[in-house]
Amino acid sequence: MRLGTRHLWLAMATAPIVGFFALPILYLLAVSFKTKDDVLSGHFWPTVPTFANWPGAFEAADIDGFIFNSVAVSVFAGLLTIALTLPSSYAVLRLKIGGKWLADVALSSYMAPPIVALIPLFFLLKATGLLNTRAGLILVYGFANVPVAFWLLTPFLRRMPIEIEHAAAMDGAGPFRTLLQIVAPVIAPGIVATLIIVTVLSYNEFLFASAFTFSDATRTLPVGISLFQDDRLVNFGQMAAASLAGISPVYLIALFMQRYLVSGLAHGGVK
Amino acid sequence: MTVFAADALRLDETRLATRRSTLPARLSRALWIAPIMLALSVTTLYPTIFLLALAFSKSTLGRPFRGFVGMKHFAITLQDPLFLSAIGRSVAYALSTSLLQLALGFVIALLFSSLLKAGRFLMSLVLLPLMTPPVMVGVAWKLILAPAGGLLNGTLIKYGVISEPISFLGHPSLAWLAIAVADLWQWTPFIVILCFAALSTIPEGVHEAALVDGANAWQRFRHITLPLVAAPLSSIYLLKLILSFKLFDLVYILTFGGPGFATTSAGFSIYRRAIEQFDVGRAAAETIVYGLVIGLATLPVVRLHQHFERREA
Repeated sequence: MRLGTRHLWLAMATAPIVGFFALPILYLLAVSFKTKDDVLSGHFWPTVPTFANWPGAFEAADIDGFIFNSVAVSVFAGLLTIALTLPSSYAVLRLKIGGKWLADVALSSYMAPPIVALIPLFFLLKATGLLNTRAGLILVYGFANVPVAFWLLTPFLRRMPIEIEHAAAMDGAGPFRTLLQIVAPVIAPGIVATLIIVTVLSYNEFLFASAFTFSDATRTLPVGISLFQDDRLVNFGQMAAASLAGISPVYLIALFMQRYLVSGLAHGGVK
Repeated sequence: MTVFAADALRLDETRLATRRSTLPARLSRALWIAPIMLALSVTTLYPTIFLLALAFSKSTLGRPFRGFVGMKHFAITLQDPLFLSAIGRSVAYALSTSLLQLALGFVIALLFSSLLKAGRFLMSLVLLPLMTPPVMVGVAWKLILAPAGGLLNGTLIKYGVISEPISFLGHPSLAWLAIAVADLWQWTPFIVILCFAALSTIPEGVHEAALVDGANAWQRFRHITLPLVAAPLSSIYLLKLILSFKLFDLVYILTFGGPGFATTSAGFSIYRRAIEQFDVGRAAAETIVYGLVIGLATLPVVRLHQHFERREA
């Protein structure tokens, strides 16, 4: 009986929290099925749902092109980040190359706001002919997320038992083979979590993308959506549909990879 | 300053192994850390040097480095009331919203951790706001807050709280509140996940021992839970503070810095100076000033974290 009331209290406290976090997404969903007049009604759900906004959004702007750019840029950038960070973080943490100062510099550079790199990277991309290209964005994200990836991989590398490397050394494996064939499989959950997080960070990024791309062929989805809403004749139903279309790849990843994500974030955050 | 801060975020230390080695061995060791050195050079070292050079020169986005101007840009920046108030707003916003989100996130984590299995399910649900692109977060909240047909105005009118729709984003303090609510929606889940992890490191036995000693729930919380999570909480606050100083996307989508300059954050102000007015020399000086202010503003939190760490050790 006591347990019952306790659970009732907990449920009553939890419900508004869950409601608050679900609200904006549910409202986007509701608006995406509203007609232009219905949008002005102020009701939550559409009175008569319309399905015109979804195809309409894809006709009004190059949404599928933007999504393609976002996915391509973020996936390649994520892989680049892992390729750069895995050997170096292994070397710093397990082979004791570079030492404490390198770990400190990597973390401090994460603390600087990205606005610091905005202007210098603009000129660097311009000088190398990579301004307004997907390759330029891939390189920027791939490099810029290295400190975060370092920070996320650190606890996984640190907790790995030293015996694993000793055994590899006994078998005569060099450090690079040890990393690829023995260490990487052991810390695979950490690598997967890190890869997902840095990929999503690139997918969601707006500041660099808005300054470094200026044609529909290279724009990523957040930039595309931001232009959508600048439009004077903005159609809220279409904007909601376009936004949800852009969010869905990330939510699919969150749905299937949540186990990795929660552990990756939780381990990285606090000791 | 930032190195101290890095200390606070770091998990534990690695020591520099001093070894005598041959040149090829040294080279192959250097090769291991070459990728991270390259990344840090491109994204941190080069921007810092480049910004300093820009700040002291007459530069536009089209043609940088057209002559040395000395401290001129810094003098203008430090006398510009618009930019100084943008910095003030950014600092006040970061310090206050991070604290609020830390408190809220911690309470929700406490609640979730007492829900056991259901709590874990809820954790994966609250992951969604964190994963949502900030631009879309802005769009969703803009639709909720819209004066014509927005959910909030519709609901308030329906229940007779107001008779005329309110332009939430057209009013200076309400516009800040709107940005803060959207920010809270997006980032509190991250804090919940980190606090949940910090709470789960407390050994079961500690609470049982206190129960045996007859401590009530508040006493157990105040004298056991809180001291044990003080150090992680201070590093979570520091992390959120750093994220808050990056505030840009929500301002861009929700208010574009307005009404007037009311919600122009330092980052947004610098962006407009560089990308819209092409005055990169002055924008560079502003960036450097803002960077120093962030360092100063986070220093007390770093010190607090070090204090908790020492007490724990």
